[in-house]
Amino acid sequence: MSRMLKLIYNEQLKIYIRKSTWAMYIILGVIIIGLAVMTNSFGELGEQYQGDDWQEVLQQENKELQKEGEEDEFVGSLNASIIEENNYYLDNNIQPTPYGAWQFLRENMLLLSVVSLLTIIIAAGIVANEFRWGTIKLLLIRPISRSGILLSKYISVLLFALFTSIFVFLFSFIIGAVFFGVEGMNPSIVSNEASGYTTISLIPTIFSEYGYSMVNLVMMTTFAFMISTVFRNSALAIGTAIFLMMAGNSIVGFFQDKEWAKYILFANTDLSQYADGRTPWIEGMTLGFSITMLIIYYVVFILLSWLFFTKRDVAGQ
Amino acid sequence: MTLAAMELIDVKRSIGNKEIIKGLSFSIYKGEVFGFIGPNGAGKTTTIRMMVGLMKLTDGDIHILGNSIKTNYKKAVREVGAIVENPEMYPFMSGWQNLMHYARMIPGVTKDRINEVINLVGLEKPIHDKVGKYSLGMRQRLGIAQALLHKPSVLILDEPTNGLDPAGIREIRQYIRKLAKEEDVAIIISSHLLSEIEQMCDRIGVIKNGELISIQDVGEQASVDNLTKIQVEVTPLEKAKNLLKEHYDIETIVMDNGLSFQGEKEKIPAIIKTFVENDCSIYQVSVTKGTLEDQFFELIGENTIE
Ligand SMILES: Nc1ncnc2c1ncn2[C@@H]1O[C@H](COP(=O)(O)OP(=O)(O)OP(=O)(O)O)[C@@H](O)[C@H]1O
Ligand SMILES: [Mg+2]
Repeated sequence: MSRMLKLIYNEQLKIYIRKSTWAMYIILGVIIIGLAVMTNSFGELGEQYQGDDWQEVLQQENKELQKEGEEDEFVGSLNASIIEENNYYLDNNIQPTPYGAWQFLRENMLLLSVVSLLTIIIAAGIVANEFRWGTIKLLLIRPISRSGILLSKYISVLLFALFTSIFVFLFSFIIGAVFFGVEGMNPSIVSNEASGYTTISLIPTIFSEYGYSMVNLVMMTTFAFMISTVFRNSALAIGTAIFLMMAGNSIVGFFQDKEWAKYILFANTDLSQYADGRTPWIEGMTLGFSITMLIIYYVVFILLSWLFFTKRDVAGQ
Repeated sequence: MTLAAMELIDVKRSIGNKEIIKGLSFSIYKGEVFGFIGPNGAGKTTTIRMMVGLMKLTDGDIHILGNSIKTNYKKAVREVGAIVENPEMYPFMSGWQNLMHYARMIPGVTKDRINEVINLVGLEKPIHDKVGKYSLGMRQRLGIAQALLHKPSVLILDEPTNGLDPAGIREIRQYIRKLAKEEDVAIIISSHLLSEIEQMCDRIGVIKNGELISIQDVGEQASVDNLTKIQVEVTPLEKAKNLLKEHYDIETIVMDNGLSFQGEKEKIPAIIKTFVENDCSIYQVSVTKGTLEDQFFELIGENTIE
């Protein structure tokens, strides 16, 4: 076991010692700060509702929206939903929560697709680069099975994904707190769910949303890792994985009416489609079905990687 | 007979339907330096890749201290240190970090040991520089250091003199001899340049087109008589040539003003007598000992890559 830890340590070292990895973190950091600056300048921060007269402010706003809406049909339909939300606050006597670090964090969940992108780049290189550098020879002539080496590399990729997600999570919260303050320890917000406007508790929502997007992250990472080991080519792995990540939803949409569409990986990666009150993409799909499909894809990816890595000769390029 | 450090038993390897290695069998013993010589494409690197488990054998087996590379890989390879073809290292890490990286993969390699091998290969000064900045010779030394970390019983070096300057080659020669003698390591060195490794080897195996065509003790070569090259300045040439063919069945090459042939030194007086008796005039007889290099070229013939 301690041997495996040392192998993982080696792999982590080879990831984090390189400047390109640090550049990834710097880019993420800059994006997060940039988003905070933009939200601060143009966003709806809800400061006007923080006084004791918040009900009057809301009513006043509703009146203006109503008037605006009567002039233009399109604006009217947009304003109608804001009025509805404002009425929900008034009817239930809930003072709107100000914008803060938690809400900023929730919005930054979109950055997990950037994390996926970076993890795909790491996964694509972790095996292929050893072949490109020629270091694979010195790596494999040790008293360690090839399966052990491969496992240490796979775990390292997952650790990179984890560390980078944690970085996004923590850094977003910190930057959010610096720019907007923290809404409290257990803030709740009003959100437009399938069942209409309801109050939801923010922190559990954030965790479940981040959790759901981990499924896609792990699957795409494993896919890139597989291409990297099978073809020993990182550019190919990055290309195909990023293409599929971007096009995944369109692919499902395109084949939606086909019988077999539900067997496409990307029809199953968003498990939040089974959350309360939502309807799955394709009729007849269930949580159990999706989990089974995910496991099948996962096992196939891992098995292919393992077969190609352990069985193939390491001859000249 | 002692247990061979490494034993190849009828090792074969095909790629596609082309047989690249056609049944190699030989043993290497502790404390011995074995030169593995062959022209480009002979199959040296392929054989070495099989010795360290990078390539599978189509047939046959390789034993390292009695452990089969096929069935007992971890135990077998624990006793092997190697560089295969170019000494590639992680260019973005320092020499020290590279060595630490490999040290973590084998239990029992201490920091003291790492410093010891660094001293041995003379890399104390640049050890904390990035390997990307190393010259080929420095990387070659780091490659050897990496191969020695875990005190292997068998050291395999594929063209270790590649890229080294004469001083570097002499240095390698010295510590390879030292390793063999003092640490009882069995060392296999491949090269296509015999002259570079001749002086550090105890035995030389010559491989051509995937076949071992000769194994020779370096010390013994002096007494290999048929390698004595004899040149005779004699007239008339044609007559002398025919005499040699008739009496001794020796093929000769006609040179400017004499004959050149290979033969045993002991026969020279008899040959001179024959010439004199048949009215040939002898002006000069000279004998040169064939070097291993001549022998090598004789063995491999024209360097054709199949
Ligand atoms: N992956 C491969 N596919 C097909 N043939 C190969 C492969 N690898 C090596 N060969 C062939 O095997 C033969 C032996 O190659 P090898 O690299 O072992 O030669 P070598 O003795 O190390 O030569 P050099 O002195 O040039 O290093 C060559 O004829 C080569 O063409
Ligand atoms: Mg070679």
